[in-house]
Amino acid sequence: MQLTQKNIKNNNLLININKLNVFFNTPEGLLHVVKDVNFNVKKGTCLGVVGESGSGKTQTFFSITGLLAKNGYAEGEANFKNYNLITCDDKIRRGFLGKSIGFIFQDPMTSLTPHLKIGDQLAEIAIYHKKITKSEALQRAAEVMDVVKLPNNRDIINSYPHELSGGMKQRVMIAISLMCEPDLIIADEPTTALDVTTQAEILSIFNDLKNNLNIGLVLISHNIGVIAETSNQVLVMKNGQILENGNTHEVLTKPKNDYTKHLLSCIPPWIKN
Amino acid sequence: MNKKHIKIIEDYSNIKGRSLWVDARRRLFQNKAAVISLFLIFLIAFLSFFGPFFLKYSFSDTDWNSIYYPPSLNNGHFLGTDGNGRDLLVRILYGGRLSLTIGILATLVSVFIGVIYGTIAGYFGGKLDIFMMRVVEILYAMPYLIFVILLMVVFGRNIYFLFIAIGAVEWLTMARIVRGQTISLKEKEFIETSKALGQSNFMIIWKHIIPNLAGPIVVYITLMVPSVIILESFLSFLGLGVQEPLTSWGVLISEGSREMETAWWLLIFPGIFMTITLASLNFIGDGLRDAIDPKEY
Amino acid sequence: MIKFITKRILIAIPTLLIIIAFSFSMMRVAPGGPFTNERALPPEIEKNINAAYNLDKPVYEQFYIYMKNITRGDFGPSFKYKDFSVKELILNGLPVSVTLGLSAIIISLFLGSLLGIIAAINRNTIFDYSVMGVSLVGICVPSFVMAPLLSLFFSLYMGILPTSGWNNGNILNLILPITALSLPQIAIISRMMRASTIEVLNSNFIRTAKSKGLNESYIIRKHVIRASILPIVEYLAPASAGLMTGSIIIEQIFGLPGIGRYFVVGALQRDYTLVSGVLILYASLLILLILITDIVRAILDPRVKI
Repeated sequence: MQLTQKNIKNNNLLININKLNVFFNTPEGLLHVVKDVNFNVKKGTCLGVVGESGSGKTQTFFSITGLLAKNGYAEGEANFKNYNLITCDDKIRRGFLGKSIGFIFQDPMTSLTPHLKIGDQLAEIAIYHKKITKSEALQRAAEVMDVVKLPNNRDIINSYPHELSGGMKQRVMIAISLMCEPDLIIADEPTTALDVTTQAEILSIFNDLKNNLNIGLVLISHNIGVIAETSNQVLVMKNGQILENGNTHEVLTKPKNDYTKHLLSCIPPWIKN
Repeated sequence: MNKKHIKIIEDYSNIKGRSLWVDARRRLFQNKAAVISLFLIFLIAFLSFFGPFFLKYSFSDTDWNSIYYPPSLNNGHFLGTDGNGRDLLVRILYGGRLSLTIGILATLVSVFIGVIYGTIAGYFGGKLDIFMMRVVEILYAMPYLIFVILLMVVFGRNIYFLFIAIGAVEWLTMARIVRGQTISLKEKEFIETSKALGQSNFMIIWKHIIPNLAGPIVVYITLMVPSVIILESFLSFLGLGVQEPLTSWGVLISEGSREMETAWWLLIFPGIFMTITLASLNFIGDGLRDAIDPKEY
Repeated sequence: MIKFITKRILIAIPTLLIIIAFSFSMMRVAPGGPFTNERALPPEIEKNINAAYNLDKPVYEQFYIYMKNITRGDFGPSFKYKDFSVKELILNGLPVSVTLGLSAIIISLFLGSLLGIIAAINRNTIFDYSVMGVSLVGICVPSFVMAPLLSLFFSLYMGILPTSGWNNGNILNLILPITALSLPQIAIISRMMRASTIEVLNSNFIRTAKSKGLNESYIIRKHVIRASILPIVEYLAPASAGLMTGSIIIEQIFGLPGIGRYFVVGALQRDYTLVSGVLILYASLLILLILITDIVRAILDPRVKI
């Protein structure tokens, strides 16, 4: 915690989450799924968020980006560029979304609009936020497709989502999030739906983004191995609470919490370097 | 949102799972429209089948002294009389008896055909399936009401034939639904197990497939009865369905619409009875569907 | 695209053939000839009549003649309207029925989809509840109840619209029939559109669109409508079938001289040629509509293989 306090002064801080709570209205009553969560994300680093399904890790970030389901609502602070994303006007949050904050979802197979060409789905975000022409936007699309190592991009721009493989679609999703040169990218289980080789390639793209483009990255995963490979800092969540928050190396080698120890014990020993 | 009045669940790890049918029943009875509709349907059915015994007029009694009586509480003609002096209430109840009977019987005919056809096509699959579904597709392209009319024209206007004709065209959708369900069911492990245990195809269909189709079939029946009632009334309205002296809601509405300038009640009351029945059945059907297959709408 | 369309047409032809064969055999199976209602005719005359209608030839030859005539648009003479052929009767009624049906389908598709989308976007608001409530009335009150009620209210009570008649297609004469005909379809289409729009709004790709920070009207226009309108496109053929049968009643109630009216008279008087002629006409129209549906769907949804 001492370390994070210092970094606020370093002006490296991208987003600060303070006392965030998320509730869901259900027939059984009000579900409290995220409980008083505090953490920071810094530029050029990767924050790994790990926890079992239902631990509230996805809902934490949905609440920040205003993507909660209709029966959900959030309280607290998510300070980003002088605005509290939880309480600010919808229009202001939308202005950040896609432009300064990119979101990459778990399931690339269903996350692209089936009836629009890939090129249109890439271009529209830049046309919308940067008010540029379509040809400029398509040029930008070609650039970001190089970044995510999408080959033969002329063909891909003119194809529909169902014509691409899962790994290619996830690269398209990453490319979409890069279109407007964001400061923060939130990736929710970006590799879960993909096979192991594709997983490794996608993770190496994330490493490049963090190191070369100085982007703050949030990587949500239930797979502690994925987190270990990419992140500098790690949050361990369970039941809507943060159990552990610290340097990845420290958390993984000297876990303080029993649950973290339990999670780590689930990894076969030959994978723990 | 005021949190103070709502129970806040902090530890949701021990919320219990519920079985599908218990859950479905709970959701159905929480649906006020469906509960009220169930009550109304039972009321209308009860009145139609037993009501006439408690009224002092019979449905075919003509009384030349009481032609076109408006609705009144004094003379026993609560909903008025028609141009032959017959009591409208009794006739509506008799008509309801016939409309409901035809609705239910024709639906049963179509469910019977549809379930057998659909399970066979879905279970055996392959070329047989392609052929059988092609037939359904062809029949779908028929303007089916006109097809029923053709059947009625050819075979005569007979009330028993009426529900066979209606049942014979209404089974198509049922067959499609059942086929789809059967295909997904036959991939399930418990069917594989039965096969491995050497059960015959007939036994597997009868013991394992059909019971698991109960949900969609029940939903479909409640939605099909109203469409059959409409179809019957439609034919009767045109003079192609139920014939005098028998009567159904369609016949009454048809007479009523011809005489609405002199006697509005002859159109309004049969219309109200029919509309309430149709609306209730639709509500029950929707309620059942939402209860069995919940989605956020 | 051309290959796709030819393939669809090749599938449609046997369907039509089966329908024609069916209606032909229905006519032959029918108990008694078409003239059984009348007095027994002298055998001499009966023979002449049978020869005139080709009833003395073997069945397969009759079918061949029937098929050959149909390809020329000739459905034979009407058995009851002695001086007219079925073709003449159909051509007589066609303008009325087409005017009625086409306006009704355009109105239903447009209004139904529009109301459904708005209700879905504003779900669980007053607007949503009122649209769904009114559409429930549209579904539960059959057209043959709604039509007399409309004419009772607007013609007899208010006196602002004519009760019946064609009057050379005067717009005032058309308002009530078209309204009565489209109401049930508007109701069904708006409910379908609402349901499918809500499903699309809850889908993952709309979440992606939201995460791009796009505003709602842009998302609806670009991402939602083309996906949510697909079920409506599929419903085009059933909707038209519903309008065809609906128009039979509506023409009857409002005294419009369309095909439906000839059909009812034909059915009541067992005029087989007329009834089967109308059946074949309606079936061909529906098959054509299914073809159009397939093409439109292929245009809207790139996943459909052409």
